[in-house]
Amino acid sequence: MSQNKWKITLKIHRQKEAEAPHFDEFALDVDPDEYVLDAVERVWAFMDRTVCFRHACHHSTCGACGMRVNGVEKLTCITYIRDVTQDGGTLKVEPLRNFPVISDLAVDMGSLYSRLDTVGARSVLPVTQAEAEKKPADWPAGDEQYIRLADCIECGLCISACPSAATSSDYLGPAVLAGAQANGLKRNPELLGLVDTEDGLWRCHSAFECTAVCPSFVDPARRIMDLRKQVFVERFSRVFRRS
Amino acid sequence: MSKPHAIIVGAGFTGVATAHDLALRGFDVTVIERGDICNGTSGRTHGLLHCGGRYAVKDQESAIECIDENTLLRKIVPQAIEPNGGLFIALDDSDLAYGEAFIDGCEACHIPLEQLTPQQALRLEPNINPRLLTAFLIPDGTFDPLRLALSFAANAKKNGARFRTYTEAKGLIMDGTGRVTGVRILDRQSNKAEELRGDILVNATGAWAGEIAEMAGADVPVKPTPGVMVAYDQRFVQRAINRLNKPGDGDIVLPQRRMVVVGTTSFEIDDLDYVPVLDDHVDLMLERGAELIPAIRNARIRGKYMATRPLISSGSGRSAARTFKCYDHKETHNVEGFVTITGGKATTLRAMAEKTADVVCEKLGLNAPCQTKEVPLVSYRQYYALPN
Amino acid sequence: MDNKHNLPSPAKFWTWFNPIGRQTGGWAFILNRVTALGLTFYLFLHLVMLGQLAQGPEAYDGFVALMHNPIIIIGELLVVAAGILHGLNGVRIILTTFGVSITRQKQLFYALMAVAVVAILVFGIRMFTA
Repeated sequence: MSQNKWKITLKIHRQKEAEAPHFDEFALDVDPDEYVLDAVERVWAFMDRTVCFRHACHHSTCGACGMRVNGVEKLTCITYIRDVTQDGGTLKVEPLRNFPVISDLAVDMGSLYSRLDTVGARSVLPVTQAEAEKKPADWPAGDEQYIRLADCIECGLCISACPSAATSSDYLGPAVLAGAQANGLKRNPELLGLVDTEDGLWRCHSAFECTAVCPSFVDPARRIMDLRKQVFVERFSRVFRRS
Repeated sequence: MSKPHAIIVGAGFTGVATAHDLALRGFDVTVIERGDICNGTSGRTHGLLHCGGRYAVKDQESAIECIDENTLLRKIVPQAIEPNGGLFIALDDSDLAYGEAFIDGCEACHIPLEQLTPQQALRLEPNINPRLLTAFLIPDGTFDPLRLALSFAANAKKNGARFRTYTEAKGLIMDGTGRVTGVRILDRQSNKAEELRGDILVNATGAWAGEIAEMAGADVPVKPTPGVMVAYDQRFVQRAINRLNKPGDGDIVLPQRRMVVVGTTSFEIDDLDYVPVLDDHVDLMLERGAELIPAIRNARIRGKYMATRPLISSGSGRSAARTFKCYDHKETHNVEGFVTITGGKATTLRAMAEKTADVVCEKLGLNAPCQTKEVPLVSYRQYYALPN
Repeated sequence: MDNKHNLPSPAKFWTWFNPIGRQTGGWAFILNRVTALGLTFYLFLHLVMLGQLAQGPEAYDGFVALMHNPIIIIGELLVVAAGILHGLNGVRIILTTFGVSITRQKQLFYALMAVAVVAILVFGIRMFTA
């Protein structure tokens, strides 16, 4: 951590019940190697106790602290202040888009969580199925016995960044489609009816913003495209099975 | 007769587990929490599902609690747990000497353990320090803190509990006879003050328990003791790796998603609401973590953070007991309708809730047995999906 | 509580064109929408023009003269450019949809856009020198 302190202005989106949304500014001394979430938490601790924000694990395993920092979706607990502003600069912190605001920076992610349950997205899975970039042959024998938490931390950044999600409240969204893909059509044939729909796989218009903002290696865009391939193969083979 | 109304202050591990337990026993439950679920100590725990090995020598009461609860949690909430076990590894003579007491302690606390040769251990975990002298395989695990809490909260909600998050306790309502009859709250979503009335108030605020108890003129001997943790960006191991010695700084490395987390330190503070992550503690985690897993030196820091343990102050720091305690303030300060649960650790959340609910039922003269050992928890996502 | 302003809604189609915070794939998405709107507008204009031509020989001659106006040529070049950009962007989407170059979608986009720039230049030079 560096010795020099930065002076920054934190602009926090404020919205209480029946109040028009606006920004409050806070002047802060920060260490550039602190995280954005630390700065927000200090505003709450020392400057304004009414600021509401969601946070829990502070090390990118829970997905609670997603916000927009200077217009870009970030997991604030692992976003260094150094990477998003400079000495004398401004940090504009807003709630995620496409979710109802509970208060200030906190949003209600109920829609995401219930859709994840609908497609049966697994929260834990065998370690050999979790790590997408390794081929099955790369795993030492016996490693399939290990269970690990899935990569997706359900933070909602992808839903917030997706331009298609901004205009369609029924769109399942990147995280949900990625959860369906991780499950696989082979293992769960009933997923076909859920994802092969207008508001499922085919609402994606290839902006790749989900993958660009994902803090947790999920690569939802790749998974959406892979699921499209699975659906295509399934539909194609059904034609031949019928005839 | 209408259901008794229990108000629980705090939606950390103890709060949500107590809400689940009381809801199952037929209570009408309201949980108030000034932030969102798990925003304090609970959310920031390192996530070790203790098997008790860490306490088997010095604190066998805690160790037995841990192994019992570890076994139960694996059954009732597998959705939040990486159940891959753990290793205690010896790197020097002092560790080896501790090994004798460790074997005895684990046996006394019925913690299953298997001694491994260094070669066997390295076959299981190729990234641990190859200079290890011996290793013990024990049933540790890792959990996701938020999802563990949400699982209990979801089940409580399914059984009718209400969760009022972003709602801060501002003061207690007392009648003339020294009885707590409710709590004055501030709804932070609307900045409106309200009063909530209940038959019993449960203070489940962990490290903050002293602040709430003080509102009733009571006090709790809780000593907030923060520790620093560092997450690195590679998953070097599948199991929790512990140093085979008495608990000390940076002697645990555990896997979580694509990370490993090194923990922890132990210090004292004045201001509970913001504890800085001290640079020298972060450096120490690298130093000590690299003794267990040398490759950590090649990894990048993903997160530096701290959590404040609520220790019951019989000793200080590492020597304090890690068990929990439920205080009936009728007995401690002649305040009726008010109990505090604090101490303990994440692994024992269900047991803490059971104890608290037992005390609450006894105080209200109810005969309702605990059911949380048998009930598998619903999907944690239901916490958000179910109406409040 | 009034929090509708933060919810998805078809009325928010304008956010498709907001470049703030967008990354490579997002720029490709914006480009695709803009060129699609431009081409649709052109198609409309084209049909109107065809209607005009049907009014007789004078109208036809006047129209041909107008087509030599440099401003019109620039307009035509814009149509060509939009067609090329939209077409090649479509190639990007087809390829990535079938899993080709999915982890290198940025490079694919840059490469296709380089092709587009060259093609637009070639067309531009030919149109202005013809």
